[in-house]
Amino acid sequence: MVEANQSGCLFVGEGVVLKGNFAVPDIASVSGVVEGDLSAKQVIVESTGLIRGKVTAESVDIRGEVAEQLTASRSLIIRSSGKVGGSVHYAEIEIEKGGSLHGDLHLL
Amino acid sequence: MFSKKSNEPEVNSSENSENQYTEATSDSTPEVEQASYDAGSNGYSNGNSGRSNPTKPSIISEGFEFVGTITSDGVLNISGVIKGKVTAKSVLVDSTGLVEGELFSDQVMVKGKVLGDINCDELNIGPLAEVDGSVSYDSVHIQRGGKIKGHFIKK
Repeated sequence: MVEANQSGCLFVGEGVVLKGNFAVPDIASVSGVVEGDLSAKQVIVESTGLIRGKVTAESVDIRGEVAEQLTASRSLIIRSSGKVGGSVHYAEIEIEKGGSLHGDLHLL
Repeated sequence: MFSKKSNEPEVNSSENSENQYTEATSDSTPEVEQASYDAGSNGYSNGNSGRSNPTKPSIISEGFEFVGTITSDGVLNISGVIKGKVTAKSVLVDSTGLVEGELFSDQVMVKGKVLGDINCDELNIGPLAEVDGSVSYDSVHIQRGGKIKGHFIKK
C-alpha cells in the first residue's frame, strides 16, 4: 500500500493523536486519531483510525471511523468495519455490508 | 424461495396465464419475470432462505402503475410504478421499478428508483439505483454507482 515514493504523504500510526488542520498533497493514511480538518488527494482510514473533523479528498477509503463531515469528489468506499457520521458529499459511493452510515448524504 | 425447483413451475404457470388472458404483452412479460428471479438468485434472497416463506412473490410488472397502499407478508417484486405506501416482508425494486412513497420492509433490494422514505432491516442498493429520501436501516450494502440522497439513520 505504501509506495516507494512517500513524498507528499502523511502517515498517522496507531496510538498517535494529531490535532490541527492538515493539507496533504498525496496520500493520508490514518491508523491513529486526527482531530481537525484533513484534506488530501486520497484519504485512507485504517480500522484503528479515527478522524474527528472535516475530511476532503478525491478518494476516501474507510475501515475506521470518520465523524462530522466528509467530501469525496471522486470515490468513497466504506468498508465493512467502517463508520461514518455527519454530512457526506460524494460523487460515487460504495458501502460494504456491515459498514455504517449515520447522517446526511449528498450527491456532488 | 428462489431455488430452481420452485422457480420453474412459477414461470410455466405465468406463461399459461398469459396465454389465457393477454396476447399483447406476452413477449415482454416473461423477460421481466425472469429478470426478477435472476435478481433474486444474486444473493438477495440468501437471508430469506432461513425463514422460509411459502407464498409466491407478488409482482408489479413493467408498465403497471399502482396508486395506493400495498401490504404483504411475503415477497414483492416491483418492475412497474407504485405511488403510495408499501409494506412487505421483502421488497425488490427492479431496474425499471419506481416507488414514490414510503417503503417498510425487512429486506429491501433497490435496482430501480425509490423517491421516499425507506424503513428496513437489510438494505441493498444496486449500481444503477436511485434513492432520494430518509433511510432507516440496520444493515446496508451500497454497490458502487448507486445514487443516494437523503438522511441515513442506523437503527
